[in-house]
This record gives sequence, C-alpha cells and structure tokens, in this order.
Amino acid sequence: MTAYIAHYLVMVGIYAILALSLNLLIGYSGIFSLAHAAIYGIGAYASALVALKLGLGFWGGMVIAAGVGALASALVAIPSLRVSGDYYVVASFGLQVVVLAVFMNWTDLTNGHAGLPGIPRPNVLGWVIDQPFEYVFLAAAFAVLTYAVCWRLTNSAFGRVLQAIRDDEIAAQAMGKDVVRVKIVIACISSALGAMAGSLYAHYITYINPSSFALHESIFIASLVILGGSERLAGPIVGTFLLLAIPEVLKFLAIPDTVAAPVRQIIYGALLIIFMLVRPEGILGRVRSETEHAK
Amino acid sequence: MSMAAESPIMSVKGLARSFGGIQAVNDCSFDVRPGRITGLIGPNGAGKTTVFNVITGFLGADRGSILLRGREILGLSPHQVERLGVVRTFQHLRLWSKMTVLENVLLGCATPAGENVFSLFLRPGAVRAEEARARERAMEVLEFFGLSGRTHEFAEDLAYPEQKLLSMARIFAADAPVMLLDEPASGLDGESLRRIVPLVRKLVEHGKTVLLIEHNMELISELSDDVVFLHQGRVLAAGAPAEITRDPALTEIYFGV
Amino acid sequence: MDLFLQLAATGLVVGSLYALCALGWGLIYGTTLHFHVAHGAIFTLAAYFAYAGQKLLGLPLAVAVIGAIAAAAACGLLIDLFIYQPLERRGAIRTTLFIASLGLLNVVENLVAIVFKPDPLRMDVGWLSNAVQIGPVFLTWLHLVSVATALAGYLGLMAFLKYSLWGRAIRAVSSSPEMARTVGIDLRRVHLLTYAVGSAISAPAGILVAMDVGADPYRGTTFVLLASVAVIMGGIGSIPGALLGALFLAMLENLGVWKIASEWQSTISFGVFLVFIVVRPRGFFGRKIHSAEI
Repeated sequence: MTAYIAHYLVMVGIYAILALSLNLLIGYSGIFSLAHAAIYGIGAYASALVALKLGLGFWGGMVIAAGVGALASALVAIPSLRVSGDYYVVASFGLQVVVLAVFMNWTDLTNGHAGLPGIPRPNVLGWVIDQPFEYVFLAAAFAVLTYAVCWRLTNSAFGRVLQAIRDDEIAAQAMGKDVVRVKIVIACISSALGAMAGSLYAHYITYINPSSFALHESIFIASLVILGGSERLAGPIVGTFLLLAIPEVLKFLAIPDTVAAPVRQIIYGALLIIFMLVRPEGILGRVRSETEHAK
Repeated sequence: MSMAAESPIMSVKGLARSFGGIQAVNDCSFDVRPGRITGLIGPNGAGKTTVFNVITGFLGADRGSILLRGREILGLSPHQVERLGVVRTFQHLRLWSKMTVLENVLLGCATPAGENVFSLFLRPGAVRAEEARARERAMEVLEFFGLSGRTHEFAEDLAYPEQKLLSMARIFAADAPVMLLDEPASGLDGESLRRIVPLVRKLVEHGKTVLLIEHNMELISELSDDVVFLHQGRVLAAGAPAEITRDPALTEIYFGV
Repeated sequence: MDLFLQLAATGLVVGSLYALCALGWGLIYGTTLHFHVAHGAIFTLAAYFAYAGQKLLGLPLAVAVIGAIAAAAACGLLIDLFIYQPLERRGAIRTTLFIASLGLLNVVENLVAIVFKPDPLRMDVGWLSNAVQIGPVFLTWLHLVSVATALAGYLGLMAFLKYSLWGRAIRAVSSSPEMARTVGIDLRRVHLLTYAVGSAISAPAGILVAMDVGADPYRGTTFVLLASVAVIMGGIGSIPGALLGALFLAMLENLGVWKIASEWQSTISFGVFLVFIVVRPRGFFGRKIHSAEI
C-alpha cells in the first residue's frame, strides 16, 4: 500500500511539472500547444538514449533532455508564432505527429514499438534512488523547482509582459514589447521544463515506449491545467492531484480495461467542456492579475 | 510662414497606402516639429488613423518615407518604432483591462533586465533595483496624471475619462520624445476636457513632441501649434490653426456643407 | 512511371477526402474564426451514422448516406448553438473556445469507441468496391465516386456562396463581421448556417472512408488537423485555396511514398507546412491575417 501511494505521488510530481510548464503557455500566454506529450517524450527518449548509448547519468541526461526539448519547440515556434496562435496549434500538432513517428519508426535509434528497457535509476551523489518512496522526494524536489521557476517568470516584469500580450497583443507591441520573441522564449522554457519531466519519468519507470507520449496524453495534460485553474500558479497542481486519482477510482469500480481507457478520455474531455462553459477559471478560481507583490 | 524655422523631428514624405481598391493615404507629406503640438485633422475617412498606424509600424506603406530625426522608420515593426521613441494611444484605448492601473503604467516603464529571462534568474539584484526604480517612476507618472488614488484598481473598473488618462500615462511612462494621441478628447464631457487639455500642454513643457488626431475644432485651435489638414489621404493644407480654421474652403470640406 | 501514375491517382482520391474536410472546416474557420477541432467529431459521427443506418437499421445505402449527412449537419449546428455561442456571449477568449472544442472531440471519439468498439467497421457498397482500370492505374468505383463527390462539393459550395442569399450572407460575414452587422445581418444565424453547411460538406468524407476502409473512432482528429493544414496552405478565407491545399497535401504524401517509406508521410506533410508558413504565411490565395484588428 505504501508503494502504491508512493507511486501515485511520484506520478503527481511528474505530471505537476508537465502541467505547470504547459500552463506557462495556456494560462499565462494564451497559446495552446498540442505537443506537450511529444515534448515529454523527447525528454524521456533523449535522457534514456544518452544513458543507454553514451552511459551518461541522470543529471547529464536531464540537461540534454531540456536542451533537445527547447530546440524541438523552437523549431515549430519560430515559424508559427511569427504568424499567429492558431498556426501554433497546427504546428504543435505537427510536432506531436512527427515526434511520435520518429519514436515508432526510427527503430535503429528508438527500438520502435518495443521501446527502450533498462534505463538506469538516478544516482544522486553516489546514492542510487531505486525505491518508489525515495523517488517521491526526487520528483517533489523537481516539482518545487519548476514551481519556483514558474513563479519567478510570472511574478516579474517578464510575467507582466506575458500577461499584457494575452490581454491585448497590439497594445503590448505599441509599448515596445517584442511580442513574437517573448512568445518564442516562453514556448522554449515551457518545453525545457516539460522535457525534464520526461527525463524524470524515464529514469523512474526504467522502460519507455511511444504509447506513453501520444496525442491523448497532450490532451490529458491540458485538462490537468484547466481543471485546477489556469490563472493561478497552483491551479495545475490541484488539477494533477485530482485527475491522477481518476484511473485509480476506475480500477476500484472494476470497469474492464478496454472500456476504462475510453471512459477516462471521456471524463477528461467532458471536464474540458464543462469547465469552459461553467467555470473557465478552474477549481481554484481567478486572481485578477497581481504581479505587483514582486519587489 | 515660420514652419521652416526649426528642423522637423519627424517628417512624413509621399506616404501612400491602399486597402483593396481604396486609397486610404495618398502622397501624404507633412512635418512634425519638436516641442510642439501638431494637430492632424480632416473629415471622417481622411486617413488620419491609417497615418498613425503606418508611422507606428502596424501597417505597411505602398510608397513613401517616414524619417525620425533623419532615420527611416518605415518598415520597422511596432516595438522597434516604440524603442526609437515614438509612442501612441489608440482610439479604443486598448488598456490591459484585467491588469491594475499601476501595472498598466509599469508596462510603459523600461524594465529590460526584468523582461530578460537570463538576467531574471542570474542577476536578481539588478532586476530588483530596476523594478524599484520603475515603480517609483510609475508612481510619479500616476501622480502627474492625477491617478495616484487609483493605483491598485483594475483598468476596466476606472471611469472612461480616467481610462483615457491612463492610456496617456502609460505611454508617458515610456519617456519617448514623440507622442501620438488618437482623439484624446473624444467621448469626454466638459469637466474631463478641462482636465485633459492642460495635461497635453504640460506634455510639451516636459519636452515632448505631440501629434494628435482630433475632431473637436475648438480644441484644435486651443491646443495645437501647427495643424495638418488631411482630405482623402492627402495633405490639403498645413499651417497655424487660425489660418486653417478660418479657411472657408477647408471648413466646407470638413463639415461637408 | 506506372507507379508514379498509380500514386498520383491515389493522391487524387485521398486528396478528395481531405478536400471535403478542408472545404467544410475552412468555410467555418473563415467565417466564424473558431478553431473548430470538433469538426473531427462531425467527420466521425457521419461515418458511424451511415454505418448504423445501413447495418443496424437496415436502410438502403442512399437513404443511410443522406440521413447521415443531414444528421451530421444538425450536429454541427448544435455544437455552435450549445457550446460556442454561449461561450461567445460570455466574451470567452479564443483559447477557451478551442479547449471546449477539443474536449468535445475527445468525448465523441471515445463514446463512439465504447459504443461501436475501436475496430474499423466497413459499410457494404456492393459493386462500388469493384476495381476499375484506367490505363495503368487501378482504382475502385468508390474512389471515382470520392473524386466526383469532392468536385460536386466544391462546385456546389462555390455556387451556394455566389448565388444564394444565404451564401452571400456567409461571404459578407467572412469578409467583415462588423460591416455585415451594420447592414443588418444576424451574425448568430449566419454562424449556425455556416456550421450546418460546413458539416454537411465534410460529412461525405467520413462516410466515404467508412465505405472504403471502414469507420474508425479516432480518424477524425487526423483528418481535421490535416484539413487545417490544407486551409492554411491554401489561404484562410479562400474556398479554392482549401481545395488546392488539400490536393497538394495528399499529392505530397502519396508521391512522397515513391521515394520515402510510407510511415514518414506525416513527417513530410508537416515539414512542408513549416517551410510553407515561413515562406508564404498567407497561403496560396489567402488574405493577410491579423491576430487582431487595430
């Protein structure tokens, strides 16, 4: 039972990072990305591959994962965000599709559907973290770090500009803000953080395959953000705690596996619609912008 | 005429811009002299706002040139134009309505370190100092515009005249030498007008150059040093306000009599 | 050379299906500016309506098809009426609308997967599935029907927009909503109409897929996102652009197979898309897009 709860908490930590980082786009910049699962996957594969093929450890893998994630995101963000947010939706979907195709079809590198087994556990200052409850601390540490980064970004002049862009882009341009650059920067940061979550996942599960990083996973991460509330920094964390419990609840209800997967998807989708219609500010509700307490 | 007395801070030459088949601005040329208020007037559809949009980089031009202190700014993007020292208000204000009055003005203040992600994390001291300076400046600006009592209210909760003031405060905070005001007096009643008019004058006393679009002829005569009369995208006349407002031919075009 | 022709012919057939999807999606996007991903749900529903009509209710093929198109059009209209319009009345930002749309797509696809099982379900089309040989190229009658349907859909839509009163209202809203409002056009009714028409045009794409390879709960997502790529490449607001973009995309995918393994089809398409938005962001025929009007 403790192992079970530890596993739940590790996954909450990992998904909290994903949700916090995606919220930098959805909530703070008003840009929707369909590629966050792909970015998560890029982090996982990059980290796993450097560990398996180059023998690089957890920390090196994580740095490389973040770099590759940011780079992949820049590749689609630079052309598309110069035009409009809608183009980014399409381009990010493209990234999602292409990245998944690479995972599945570049078998020499990624081992295709069979995936990559045997990813080593992280080694923190000579201490190998291989117990779930130990991993809880590692995941929590990274979640806190991500939260701190997001806090700093959003409670600063930079955060003010992000908010201004979301509120009125034209006015932001007129006040000398390089809107396109800011959007590209935030897309890259969001992806670097998302890729770190992937790295954390790969070294935790020790086996990865493409199915963990498909489009429905992107939608799932978006629902974590929306459910908790995209206008508050803690919103995605609340959403993560609640939504990750749903599969466990379904297990208790003894719904057959073939039905459970689509039922989960229906719940996530329905939550998106209902929250948009009834409570777009999410469970935590709205704080109307106050970047002022930053000194 | 005394117009050649001082070299212009901004000069628009042969500007042309069409939308589909409609020539909104056509061979439009005029100068803006430093430290003065230039009124851009003309009947509806004369192309005044289009000229503003082209100057500030929101619209491209088909032909022409816009020199700011001798430097070509046509073809630059809006944020580049702003950084070279041209700021503007909008007819529909475009305040950040869900942000506070202070935040609206802070966004006008220069905070390069706080807006740069690297220095944000690597030079927290510099960021903090800069933010403190910006706040001080923002408070001064709010004081200047008589909004210091509204600092923490949301822009959308202000009354319309105060929103108008805020839209000017925001660009004043940017400390740019050239300010473009799109109808600063429209929609205001007598009392608010009396509040805004001396403020625009005070901008000039603070060394600003003002180019403004306005429909209220009385206000134009009272406020501007130079007037440029635009009709069908062309400059029909330019000169002292008295000359322009007294010209019966122009009055006829303006009021469509 | 024969292989090339065969691939080009397949490209044309697939392109016809993309085109039907892109025409509907592009009409809706160009008119309402909603990023309507739930259009994928319409595609999927049309396929299963037709399948259910024929296989479960035992209706004749033609009746099942016409019924499915009408039902799909009604679904499109209802989505606007019960989801988008309430959101717009509340002044929701575009991301909000998109998220609701995405949620709906997810719900519909997975409901269908539960009700009908995830495996593809094929309709019976009788002799239409027989092969025809045109020179060196092998196709089925159904493939020819697909091409003919796309052509009819395109011409029908153009004629509708040009000659009918309602079509002209759609065009007016599409070119300038403010202007349309001032001349007394009811935007909400035009939006509803646009959703009905756009859904009706794309429904046959889903049905044709159900006839050819079988209906599949999750195919709609791919189709609608490819449609959005086609519309952007063709130029937002341009109906001929949507057609051309869809054909271009399908040709690219299919002719690409000539030299590159088929699993990289989607990679090619999106690679070209990215290059395209750098080189020509407004598409083949599109108007310049503004993220917001000044």
